[in-house]
Amino acid sequence: MNHAATASHAGSRLLVAENVAYGYEPGKPVLTAVTAAIESGRVTGIVGPNGSGKSTLLRLMSGLLAPAQGRVHLDGRPLMAFTRVERARSLAFLPQSINPAFALTVFEVVCLGRYPHVGALRGLGAQDRRVAEQCLRETNTAHLRNRDFSTLSGGERQRVLLASILAQDPNLLLLDEPTSALDIHHQVEIFSLLRRLSRRGYGVAVVTHDLNLAAVFCDALLLLAPGHTGLLASGPPHDVLTDDLLSRAYGAFIRVVRHPVSGAPLVTADVPPQEDIP
Amino acid sequence: MKPRVSPWIAASVLAGLCAVLVGMSLMVGAERLDVSRAWHEWRSGVSLAESPTLSILVEQRMPRTLASLIAGAGLALSGCAFQALLRNPLATPYILGVSSAASLGAFTATILLQYMGVSYAFAGFSGVQVMAFVFALAEVSIIYAMAAAQGRISPGVLLLAGVTIGNLANAGILMLRYLAKPDQLVSMDRWLMGGVNVLGYRPVLTLFLGVTPCLIVLLAQASKLDQLGFGVELAESRGVNVRKLQAVTFVIGSLMTAVIVSEVGPIGFVGLLVPHAVRTFTGSRHRLLMPLTLVAGGAFLCFCDILARKLLTGETPIGIITSLFGGPFFLYMLLRKRLSDWDM
Repeated sequence: MNHAATASHAGSRLLVAENVAYGYEPGKPVLTAVTAAIESGRVTGIVGPNGSGKSTLLRLMSGLLAPAQGRVHLDGRPLMAFTRVERARSLAFLPQSINPAFALTVFEVVCLGRYPHVGALRGLGAQDRRVAEQCLRETNTAHLRNRDFSTLSGGERQRVLLASILAQDPNLLLLDEPTSALDIHHQVEIFSLLRRLSRRGYGVAVVTHDLNLAAVFCDALLLLAPGHTGLLASGPPHDVLTDDLLSRAYGAFIRVVRHPVSGAPLVTADVPPQEDIP
Repeated sequence: MKPRVSPWIAASVLAGLCAVLVGMSLMVGAERLDVSRAWHEWRSGVSLAESPTLSILVEQRMPRTLASLIAGAGLALSGCAFQALLRNPLATPYILGVSSAASLGAFTATILLQYMGVSYAFAGFSGVQVMAFVFALAEVSIIYAMAAAQGRISPGVLLLAGVTIGNLANAGILMLRYLAKPDQLVSMDRWLMGGVNVLGYRPVLTLFLGVTPCLIVLLAQASKLDQLGFGVELAESRGVNVRKLQAVTFVIGSLMTAVIVSEVGPIGFVGLLVPHAVRTFTGSRHRLLMPLTLVAGGAFLCFCDILARKLLTGETPIGIITSLFGGPFFLYMLLRKRLSDWDM
């Protein structure tokens, strides 16, 4: 499948947000003049405290929200110039919580991802089923094919949902906290999968609260802070995850040390000096 | 997951069932009809006026059978579409007060006639039908305007506003019943119980022209409703215009219900029972579920109409039958967790 596998070389800018601003209520901007790019072949983590606009930025990038100011370009074209279906063929979005209204099998769930290719009136073709099968294998969920989606464990559910957005055959994956409800084993499993997909050419953007996982699995980080104009910082995890930047972003005392084995940044909380416990 | 019935088997069984029921519906009634004789008379060119058998078949049995098929199909499919639209297993246009408003309209027409002698008809429709339709549309417009105030339709507002206005309409109905004279009361109550015992083809034509286009439009939303099952955002990100889907499904489903209720009265339970029954066999892919629900709905109402004719001497109102037989069956499915397709 996938344009992604045949996509332009790693590091090309698939999606660019330029000076985007957005607010849900007038006079209360959540984002002001944020400029960011998502590159192919890389996992980009979007991090920052609650209310800093991570999910909002992801929705602006996905086209679900239109920026109040600024522009978003996908493959060099304004995102707003895409039809919904065109957009869904090159960009897939996975919201944070999915509660299906009725029961479907895992295979049916993955096939739902073929909608942008199948359309509203046609049924699934052999090609669509082949792609769905491939996405099941890709996410190691083929053995779950006939299970009821609602009976899956948290980790299985996320892998199946990932398969279903891969079935859209996009080259860009935008995920909103895909690991927030998972234990550490399954968090690592999802992040490893995202990293593997990125190495096959996909551009991946992922909103996460887990800075340590982001430090290990992301190639680049975008750090947002509430009330800040633009990004507070962006770049490789080493440059973004620092005592100073994180303490400013989160308004808390945060200490970053080096992982003794891997050397990756390791983020921990620190007790504020004036609150020392005797 | 419960093993599902193959689509082809489900469709064949339903088609067979439908054919048997239609055959029975043509034969069964106050007067048992001799089909071979009717066929023979028709072949030999006997006119309707000369043959009581043919006349009953063509002027009574066929129209009421057709009316039950069309009304049943419409009620069942609108229920199915509303359940997906509002992501709620209870949702039907009835729950949203459409039939209560229509009944209030019908009663208003009756009372107006009684107290003011206002009698009116519009293009061959009786005042009761016109008022039922107008009131249903007004109710639908109000709750739609309330729920769509923030752009996208809010299922919560739609349900609460619909249930509330439905209750208001029911209070209005009680008020009008209190005001009505005894002879009017009888005809009002009879209207509330519904009936597909139409005479002639005028009602059938109205139902056909009002319902068929709506059925087609709703069927065309099937894949989009599947997407909506996984949430507004995922559906939107996959290319579904959710706002348009919600508007089209709601308006068309309500319109179709208004047409049906104003023609055959508020026949309850079809929109709730039939989609859930079909779902337990075929799963929830709407491309499969919706066409089968449509056929099963027609078959169910046709079946209830046969019972209506045979259960007691004379006609039992069909609205009583659908609830009396549908209710326990629905409870049975609930008890056996056959509705487990919904997260409950």
